[in-house]
Formats: sequence, structure tokens, C-alpha cells
Amino acid sequence: MTTREDVFAAIKSSTLDVLSDLSPEQVTITEQLKALGANSVDRMEIVSMSMERLRIKASMLELARASNIQGLVDILWAKCNESR
Amino acid sequence: MDTVGVAGMGVLCSIGAGVPAFRKALEEGRSGIGWLEDFAPFTGAPIGARVKEFSFSALLGERRLPASLLRRAQRSAGRSPLSLQASIACALEAWEMAGLHERTVEPSRVALIVACDSSLERYSFNGTAKLNDAAEYLSPRFALHALASDHVGTVSEVLEIHGDGFAVAAASATGNVALVRGLQLLKLGEADICIVVGALSELSPLALQAFHNMGAIYGSAGTAEPESACRPFDSEASGFVYGQGAACLVLETSSSARQRGCSSSVELAAGACVLDGNSSSNPSQSGECRVMLKALSQGNLQPSMIDYVNAHATSTPLGDRTELAALQQVFGAAISRVWLNSTKSLVGHCLFSAGVVEAVATVLQMQHGFVHPNLNLQQPIARDCRFAGPRESIRGVRIATALSNSFGFGGVNSSIVFRAARPGAPAVVWS
Repeated sequence: MTTREDVFAAIKSSTLDVLSDLSPEQVTITEQLKALGANSVDRMEIVSMSMERLRIKASMLELARASNIQGLVDILWAKCNESR
Repeated sequence: MDTVGVAGMGVLCSIGAGVPAFRKALEEGRSGIGWLEDFAPFTGAPIGARVKEFSFSALLGERRLPASLLRRAQRSAGRSPLSLQASIACALEAWEMAGLHERTVEPSRVALIVACDSSLERYSFNGTAKLNDAAEYLSPRFALHALASDHVGTVSEVLEIHGDGFAVAAASATGNVALVRGLQLLKLGEADICIVVGALSELSPLALQAFHNMGAIYGSAGTAEPESACRPFDSEASGFVYGQGAACLVLETSSSARQRGCSSSVELAAGACVLDGNSSSNPSQSGECRVMLKALSQGNLQPSMIDYVNAHATSTPLGDRTELAALQQVFGAAISRVWLNSTKSLVGHCLFSAGVVEAVATVLQMQHGFVHPNLNLQQPIARDCRFAGPRESIRGVRIATALSNSFGFGGVNSSIVFRAARPGAPAVVWS
């Protein structure tokens, strides 16, 4: 079963791939991607890469509800366990 | 009167990364042509001139530019396709050579033109596999990277260019056409500096097969020596050889250069483009003749004043013969005194960036007083032309005025003229 930690790890890896000048310590669960310097395309790419890592699919409508990384973890974690 | 000079150059191709390495390879007559990998299911001989051992971070590491600028380059292009990274690498080299990191101008007075036709074709081709495999995971960045404007947007982001900017598409004439537009923008007073980038053409098996099926690409029965396939002006020429190359020229008005405390010794004196009104791929002697005469007239030059021609000559029988006939028509008796070569014999046909890569080759030969060889020129198709030989560079040559041609599918003809104030001198001199 995919844990919340697994989901956060996927998002963190994707964030560090896309925002290559960040250090791992900067990506915390309470952060907002926008505050970390991600523009709109960066944010979409981070989400897309995370979903691919987790082998899940969520709609833009569902994802729009997330206001920070914690929110994103919650939505993607729910998707992971929905398909199990 | 304000003239337009070459303030900086950058280049990356199959025979060298950076201007010094490129110049050395031209002087030594080195070929960048070899076997291509990753081109299945292309049914022709997979021969081409690839950029080798490319490392974006290594290229950034060679630049003596502010750390903030290099960080911006890494952030903006660190994960981008090869073509984009090559554009950035060349633009940074040219920017540094022009001293624009130290003696700058107002960003809104810097323009950017990118020569980019189907340069990003392989990227789109690769996207099809992703589409079929997992469409939902196709990168959100794909729509940016698949367009020519990615080069315009990214180069302008990295170099903070806020003047006019656009991409140019004109098949194999794209590079020259971009340089002509840059010259015109500066003459109009729309900018003081114009960065002209020739984007590396990254092709897929689909593109090579398309060229092969129309008979344009090197097509003789399989050769044991890929280096012998590209032979412009030779009677055994059988089609062009694909080459990867990116380049950048910084064009600047003489008044802007004076204000920055420098001067350029090589002037882009003239440039012209004319159409044949032809949708097909065949060349036109009259169109090629017209465009050369138009460029010469624009520069107030007689054909007899030209010391050197960097020919379009792609190693296609009809194309090479047509260009020679046009040159003979333009130059008349003077043809026997004009040095003639084709950089494509060393670096292949860089397609949409060829005009810019060959402009760098032309300027280097003017600055350093040599004419690089025409590799594989064993049996020239004309007797009265002054071709450089197949092996050695001609050295100790004074090239004060040079012409460079590029002709493209769809009846596009282009010709540019460079003039050296001090043949044999470095391009940019600081006061």
C-alpha cells in the first residue's frame, strides 16, 4: 500500500528535477510550489512527473484543490489507494 | 554612416565545440562525418555529422560569465532538448566574445532572431512514442519545446533580451535569411545589437527517410567510408549528408560598438533574399544569380572585388552545378580568381542553421587568412573555378570581401557579404 511518505517522496523528487537550483532541505511538506519558484508550467510538470512515478492519474479539476504540497500529497495519496 | 559589424561569435558542431576548436578543425580540414546511431528504421545509409560528447554543464563551465547568468542558463535550459541547449551554449559564447556581460546596452535595444525551421523535428517524433505509451504523462513542457519560439523565449530569458525577437523559417536558407533580417533590423534603427542564433537541426528517422525518398540525401550504394560521402563540386557527388551544428553571431551597429568602447573588424556589409516562385526543391540559376547580384549591389561591390565565396554546395549534382553556373554568370572572367569552398564537406549540411555556421566559418577564414579544403574534391565538375583542394588549407590568403550563399527548398535564395576592415585581424578590438 502506498503511504503518504511515498507520495511526498515522489513529489519531492519531481520538484527537485524541475527546480534544479533548489536543495532537498528546501522542499518541505508545508511549502507551496509557487513559493519555491515554480511557475505554472513548472507546477504542471511536477504534478505530471509525480503521477507518472506513482502510476496514477488525477484530473486538473481534482488537483486544483491543492493549495500546498500537503494538499497535493492528500489528493494523490487518495488516488493511489482508490485504485488498489 | 553606421555600419553593422560582427561583435561576437559562437559555434557548436561535429568538428568542434567553440570558436577556437572549430577554427582549428577547419584549418586542419577535419571531417565530422561518420555513422549515425538511433536512426532505425531509416532504409538509407545512416551517415551524418553528429555533435559528439555533448555536455551542457561542461560548456557552461567553460564560460567566463557572471555566475548569475550561468545559473539562469542552467535553470532555464538544463533539462531542455539538445537543440535548445546548443543554442544557449553558442549564444553565451558569442555574448562573452562581444563583451556584453561587461559593457552592456539597454535590454530593449537588443533584438534576437533564431534560424529554426523543422529543427525540433526529432523532439516531436519522440513525443509520439510517449503519446502511444502513456498519453497522460506527456510532459506539460512538450508544447513549449516543440515550437521554434522555445529558442526565442529561452535565449531571451537567459540573456535578458527585451527588444524585437522572432524565429525565421526558410528551409536550407534559414540561417542566411535570419542574418539578413538582423542586418535589416539594425539598419532600420530598431535595435543596436541583434543576436542571430542558428538552431541545431535535430532530425528523426522520419525526416531522413523523407529526404531519402525524394532523392536529396546521400544515396550511393553503402560506403565503407562515411567521410567520403559528402563531396561538394565533385563529379561523384550523390546527395547531401545531414549535419548537426548550431552557431550564433552578435551583430552590432558601429555607433553602439563605439559607445561600448570597441570596434569590429568584420562588417556584415550586405544581404539579400529573393524567391523563385517555386514550391519544389529544384534550384534556379537565375534566382541564385539575381540574389548574388542584389547583395553585391547593396554593398556597392563589383563581383571582381570578392576574394572568397563560401558556397551553398551541398554535394547534390544538380544543386552544385546550378550554383557554379550562377557563379560563372555573376563573376565572368573573375571566377578564376575567387577562392571557392563549401564548409559542408567538413560538417555536413546543417540545414536550417547552415547559413549561420557557414558565416562563422567565413569570418574565421577572413580573420586568419586561410581557405579550408573541399574534402573529397577529386574530380571537380568545373575547370575554370579556383577551388580549394581536397586535403590542405590554402594559407596566407588575404580575404577582404567574402560572399556566402544559401539556397532552400521552396525557391528561397539568399546571399550575404562580409567585408574585413583589417584582413587578418581579430574580430573585436577593445579600446
